[in-house]
Amino acid sequence: MEYLVVFLVLVVFLQTRITNLRRAVICLASQSVIISIACFGLGLSSGSGLHALLPGILTLAVKVIFIPGAVWNLVGKLTNEREILSESNVNYSTMAAALFLVMGYAIVERLLPGSAGRDIIAASILMIMTGLSLMVLRKRAIIQIVGLITLENGIYLLGLLMTEGLPLVVELGVFLDVLIAVVVLVILTSRMRLSFMTTDTSVMKKLKG
Amino acid sequence: MNFSISDLIYIILALPVVFSMISAVNLLHKDVLHWLNRLAATAVFGAIALLVASFDVYSPYRDAYLYLDALSVWMLLIIGTLYLAFAWTSKAYLDRDTNKRYGYLRRFGRLEGRFYALSHIFVWIMLVVVTVNNLGLMWVAIEATTLVSALLVAFKFTRTSLEAAWKYVMVCTVGICLALLGTILVYYIQLTDIGPANPLDWLYMAQHVDSIDSPMARFAFCFLFVGYGTKIGLAPMHAWLPDAHSEAPALTSGLLSGSLCICALYVLIRNIIILLPAIGVDFISGLCLFFGLFTVAAAVPFVLVQRDVKRMLAYSSMENFGLMMAGLGLFVPSAAQAMLLHMFNHALVKYSLFYTAGTIMEEFGTKNMMRIHGMMTQTPRTAMFWLLGIVGILGMPPFGIFFSKFYIIFGFFQADHPWLGILLLILLAGMLIGILYHVMRMFGGQAKKKSAGELLGFTDSLALAGLLLFSCAASAGLSEITVLNNLLSHAAQIVLGGVS
Repeated sequence: MEYLVVFLVLVVFLQTRITNLRRAVICLASQSVIISIACFGLGLSSGSGLHALLPGILTLAVKVIFIPGAVWNLVGKLTNEREILSESNVNYSTMAAALFLVMGYAIVERLLPGSAGRDIIAASILMIMTGLSLMVLRKRAIIQIVGLITLENGIYLLGLLMTEGLPLVVELGVFLDVLIAVVVLVILTSRMRLSFMTTDTSVMKKLKG
Repeated sequence: MNFSISDLIYIILALPVVFSMISAVNLLHKDVLHWLNRLAATAVFGAIALLVASFDVYSPYRDAYLYLDALSVWMLLIIGTLYLAFAWTSKAYLDRDTNKRYGYLRRFGRLEGRFYALSHIFVWIMLVVVTVNNLGLMWVAIEATTLVSALLVAFKFTRTSLEAAWKYVMVCTVGICLALLGTILVYYIQLTDIGPANPLDWLYMAQHVDSIDSPMARFAFCFLFVGYGTKIGLAPMHAWLPDAHSEAPALTSGLLSGSLCICALYVLIRNIIILLPAIGVDFISGLCLFFGLFTVAAAVPFVLVQRDVKRMLAYSSMENFGLMMAGLGLFVPSAAQAMLLHMFNHALVKYSLFYTAGTIMEEFGTKNMMRIHGMMTQTPRTAMFWLLGIVGILGMPPFGIFFSKFYIIFGFFQADHPWLGILLLILLAGMLIGILYHVMRMFGGQAKKKSAGELLGFTDSLALAGLLLFSCAASAGLSEITVLNNLLSHAAQIVLGGVS
């Protein structure tokens, strides 16, 4: 388990450094692979049968194959687009992630002192906050989608650890929602590409007040 | 024919999906589609009316996944009424929007099927939100409403509507993810304090609220409040609300404002009922009052300087959500009842206002209020409904909102918050001045550009008049209509005291 946490933190930090869209999608997929391994590990240690395996299988199918696949497909269509990138944002999000890691451990020490999954909880708080910061600090639509999935993964991991998974129907519903969310976001992004000729969300600032 | 309650519920939950599937295929001619749409909504409304009439408030209905008590039936009534109004106004709206001369959607063909499929599935998910028993499933349904309605907000695929939809999905999904965290924490609390039986089952938890005393409860409530508060549109998490409400097609704006935000409020209320004994009234009451009043205060300046007619209505919705939140935070029986009545009145009046605003936008070819003049002479019927709706939403006496606003403000004085009540009155006065100033400018004067003429037809005028009348009659004559009165007072009891 400790190795998983180390890899997870590494992947999340890598995520904040990446500006290339394809690499960001690969990074997202590998992050989800780690989550699904954690799902299998926790599921098999606590019980057996379908409910133990299902979260891992669903994570593998939805978050490792379908979502990165759909986003990868979308990235393939984005050619010749205007790039409005600022490197300073990358440094800000890495620095923010470092702060979040410290904050995660501080929160765990205060709220759940001496709990078994201390590192995993801290890592999931890191993922939640990093996902948020990716969505706020970065301007490119694809990176924002990646941030959203990171946030969702973090919450999912936290839930998995605290309650050994939600009830089965709810879990299925959550996965369905994530699936639909990505479909909707991919539709919106491809329309954005048609209307604005770019997927940089900083061009959308007409609605104010 | 005699229907049992479970039959009625299955009719209510089956018809919208069936119709949505039919229209998604998009094979039928659009006239058939319009009539099927009206038929489906009318049948659902009829079933809800039968349910309201035959529902015994003392014996709630429950099965494996569904649970219906007075509160859910009251919400069903609100959503069902809007659904009916939607179905009877949609043909006129879509015909106008696809009109060759001035319609927004004239460049696209055969969009009726897609629009109906999305709208009906949207209404269906809201119906699911208020009938399921499981807090986790409520979360799933609320998130699904965001996703389906995002496609409706972006329906025109213009640049501004894409921007609105993007902001809507991003802000609301983050908010709702925090609510998921809150729900997970509630489940954790249930596991530690009550036991692993019936996971996240609302009724079961509400019967065992006394055994919850985890310090986690306050933490969970904060996440739930921020999460669902984003979806309700409380300031400062309201960034998506004016954009989404102003850029969506008028029918969708009406549904978003009238029923979606109060569905989120409903789920928050269900969670509060579970967590209330563990947290204590003071904390929840303080948060609700503060954010409620802050939302009203944040909406007022934006209304005063507003130029976009639908954005003005969106900020007025925010004011009303703030008012509902404050009414919830008072924890006084009359205020809780008034809050539920306010949900109903606001939904009906705001739907008719958004529909009228959509009509005005097409008649004058602009949504800038500064360029709309002379409505009285150019488009007398639209002007009349616009005036009636505005007078209604501002809470002037003959209309339903007067009663609900009055009792919410009365609740402030009952609950020993007189200064907050006076502050709220001042803010509401600012709202009234701002909206009336803009609206009166639209009525008088001479139009600089010739308008497209009167576009409000017979059926839609009838539907709007029905909405306004229903809201008036239900609130003014509440004590005379035994069924509604009984339902409402029991729903208020559930809001304040759970199932005990």
